[in-house]
Amino acid sequence: MASRDYDHLFKLLIIGDSGVGKSSLLLRFSDNTFTGSYITTIGVDFKIKTVNIDDEKVKLQIWDTAGQERFRTITSTYYRGTHGVVIVYDVTNGETFANVKRWLHEIDQNCEVVNRVLVGNKNDTPDRKVVLTEDAQRFADTMKIQLFETSAKDNINVEEMFMTITRLVLKSKKEMKQLQSAQNDVVNLRDKKKSSKKSKCC
Amino acid sequence: MSSRIRENVKHFFECFCEVVPPSEDKDAWIIQQYPDKYKDQDSLRSVPKFAYPYKFENTVIQHYSFVLTDLEGKWTFGFCRHDPKSETAIVILSYLPWHQAFYKFLDTIAVLMHSSRTEDLSEFLSAVYSTKIVEPGKKISILFNRGQSSFIVDVPKPFQLPSIPENRNLTEYYNAVDINNMMIIFASMLYERRIIFTSKQLKRLSACVQSANDIIYPMIWQHIFIPVLPQNLVDCLLAPMPFLIGVPEDVFKKVIRSELGDVVVLDADANTVETPFDDLNNLPQDVITSLRKQLRNKSAVLGDGVSRAFLRALVQLIGGYRDALKFQPGQKVTFDEERFIDTRPVSLQPFLRKMLQLQIFQQFIEERLMMLNTGRGFSDEFEFELENYSAKSGSKLKQQYKEWTSTMRKEGTAFFKSVKDKANPAMKSAVKTVKDGGKGMKSAYKGLRSKLKDGQGGPGPQPLQNGDVKPRSAPNSPTGKRKTLAGLTAPVATYRKEASLAFKNANLQRSYSPLSPGSQPITPDVLDTPRSGSPIDIPRIDLMNEMKDFLELNLDTPPVDRSLKPVRSLENFKNTTSPLGSPERRSQPPPPRPSLHPLPSLSSSRFYRDTQNLLQSPLEGPVLSPPYVPPRKPHQLLQEEFFGSATKPVVVGGGHSENGDPVFYVTSKNAVDVVKLTPPVQCSPNRRKQADDTEDLIRLDSASDLDDFDPLKTSSSTSSYSTPTHSQAPPLSVSNPLYNSSYENHTIRANDGLTPTTFDRHDQDLLQEYGLDFNFSGMQSNKPTSSFDPFSPTNKVKTQGQWTKFE
Repeated sequence: MASRDYDHLFKLLIIGDSGVGKSSLLLRFSDNTFTGSYITTIGVDFKIKTVNIDDEKVKLQIWDTAGQERFRTITSTYYRGTHGVVIVYDVTNGETFANVKRWLHEIDQNCEVVNRVLVGNKNDTPDRKVVLTEDAQRFADTMKIQLFETSAKDNINVEEMFMTITRLVLKSKKEMKQLQSAQNDVVNLRDKKKSSKKSKCC
Repeated sequence: MSSRIRENVKHFFECFCEVVPPSEDKDAWIIQQYPDKYKDQDSLRSVPKFAYPYKFENTVIQHYSFVLTDLEGKWTFGFCRHDPKSETAIVILSYLPWHQAFYKFLDTIAVLMHSSRTEDLSEFLSAVYSTKIVEPGKKISILFNRGQSSFIVDVPKPFQLPSIPENRNLTEYYNAVDINNMMIIFASMLYERRIIFTSKQLKRLSACVQSANDIIYPMIWQHIFIPVLPQNLVDCLLAPMPFLIGVPEDVFKKVIRSELGDVVVLDADANTVETPFDDLNNLPQDVITSLRKQLRNKSAVLGDGVSRAFLRALVQLIGGYRDALKFQPGQKVTFDEERFIDTRPVSLQPFLRKMLQLQIFQQFIEERLMMLNTGRGFSDEFEFELENYSAKSGSKLKQQYKEWTSTMRKEGTAFFKSVKDKANPAMKSAVKTVKDGGKGMKSAYKGLRSKLKDGQGGPGPQPLQNGDVKPRSAPNSPTGKRKTLAGLTAPVATYRKEASLAFKNANLQRSYSPLSPGSQPITPDVLDTPRSGSPIDIPRIDLMNEMKDFLELNLDTPPVDRSLKPVRSLENFKNTTSPLGSPERRSQPPPPRPSLHPLPSLSSSRFYRDTQNLLQSPLEGPVLSPPYVPPRKPHQLLQEEFFGSATKPVVVGGGHSENGDPVFYVTSKNAVDVVKLTPPVQCSPNRRKQADDTEDLIRLDSASDLDDFDPLKTSSSTSSYSTPTHSQAPPLSVSNPLYNSSYENHTIRANDGLTPTTFDRHDQDLLQEYGLDFNFSGMQSNKPTSSFDPFSPTNKVKTQGQWTKFE
């Protein structure tokens, strides 16, 4: 893979009800803002961005799928191939926050450890805000994840949020590598990850 | 809801497009569309890409389908026709997954496009577009060509399993991919892998992908689903989430495999699977073993044998969900995951833990809970097989289950309303369940089962019913069939398999179900013994199918490439089949009810075939419920297979009490929901009859009823259900409320079709009788938890009365 132009390739997942602004967040963040979106025709879409973190080039693919709100739980098979998850709700819509809470609880119960951040989007019209920052922060604390309140429209906090999740992923990848070399295991990365995670969490 | 198919569809199709192929300097584009008011730009923009997913040469007429997914995750189906003699492709967008119907529709359009009279096409499209979708089992009929021709669509009934060769997709899949590879794909889907199908033929590609999804019924693929992936979307293969994507070989060749990561790749042309996983071997061994055994039974290939084999595997795997349902008065039914695991055999537990982590399973549970909690109940092929499988295991649980259902109903005053809104067939089943409730019945049933299990030789009857009746019949009304069909000896075909399954199941059940000991002696034993002797599977061969299409279509249809090849080993069947059923009997029509035509498409078409084709007859007969079907004109017969969506519950058409069964028609927009309150026995009687006839088993008491009533009225069977079912057939169906109900529903629907105008009246009557008098309502109120026995007699009486009334 000498020809590749990046040091790391991470696949991230963005989840949340439709209407919370996932597409806008992606669009705001991605390099290729002009490419059309396919989520309305095939139910899946992704955007690409390459960022530099500590002198390392990280290529991000951020994936979105349609109709997630129909899931009461989002199961681990959905996250299986991803490095990190961006969980988005709409600060002006309490229901979207409730869904997100449920999903996160579920993930926790199933001992799935995935790098993730919590995002309250549409944080640009204070008088319409119904999910209070304190409530969201309290929840984020109990879940031990970071909270970002963003506005894709006004480009607030979007970059920071994506950089944070990228750092998280990068960090856990390096930890994993260390663990791997420590164990002197020749195992494929993904398997390794899983097993180590599991042991950690359960 | 887990279904990804839209409910309450208003139009047969959403849009027709004619697409010009891409040229050197221009992408493919739409040269004309109908109706003009269709403005979904996202879809319209993507149609040309899916119509010409890559540069290909077309040498034969080719049909294939593609799928668009909207923001809610709902599917829109695109049906595409390429003709080497035409410079353009034609495409239909629809919310309905009725592949056969749309391929025929496209053929008709293709003919009209060459009509000398230019208005012909637009008139036809306009006529079809404005025609309302009738309830399942009925027909949509449109005159065109200045009234000289008619285009007819049988609206598929819900819960039909795809069968060979009627279902083109499954037939294609089965022909292209061997059993072992099908099983690997099945297993890969159960592990929610990233799965790629590839083929040089778009037709094969889309058919295989669609069928792979059909085969995991009652679950539904919840992830990325793209039966045909255009070149420009090839990056989707990098998705880290589970997917099932069909990639044309030319497109796939350009993909760098190392970038894909861990994917399962099925080459449908070469019949090879590459997988980095060992999913198949990680499934519980006994499940795999019995699945393989069933699939290897070539004689059961025709019909829904293949679909049913996979369905049974799923019953073994996830059927235990019922034991994990928890219900507290005043609260919703919930699913207890721990209990789900704990109540299963130890050998299954490791896999089931993984199962809990599947989106397809979670959605399945969600759907079932929703049905229960809204009082809709459900009756489908899955529940039916489940009943068969677990008859022993938990009579208690079953009762509980019924009670819950009934309670939920009670509690939900808006029950009917909700039903109406949702127009879901599940309702009916729920009702049936309650009715079924006769404990005595159950015990008897159990007894039968246990016996069956014990005497392996005996299992014949059960299997018959299961195989024959269940599969096809779900939609059909059993009773009617019985009479006409009864004479038929045919039902032999699938016995073997089923019998073997039954045994296995029985054993399994025993292992974990203390209740199972079949204490009750049931007459069915007799049946069993005779049956055992005949291991012959009767294949149903629909050679006539294709012919039909032509016949039906009065126009000269351009030569369509019909890829449906009959089963690989047709010859095997021939021998067995010939002796079987006498088609004539079936043909003898169901009691002459001209109005009844609305019969479900399957039954009708099959019926028709039966008469035509001896080979088909035996098996189909029982299933099909010929009795209900009035003699049909050949042209009326349509392709039976619209159920491309076995997985999706189609709205059930309202049933009539014509049979004497009380049915509620719940109309939701296009579709009418029928809730049948009557005892669910109908189906069973038919089955039994078959068995009985052949085996000299005890006749149903209902016999008298049957005589009195038209075959069309399945209700007769219902009425008799309590006694006959038990005694005669251990058939699961009888004991299983769900099952019965489903059948009833089907029958009803069929009947309904007869007199559309009468619905309203009937509804009123039915509602009164049922809603209030209803057996079960009575049961519920009076004895919420207790027995069902007492009612059965009542039911009979009632039904009969109703019959007379209606008639």
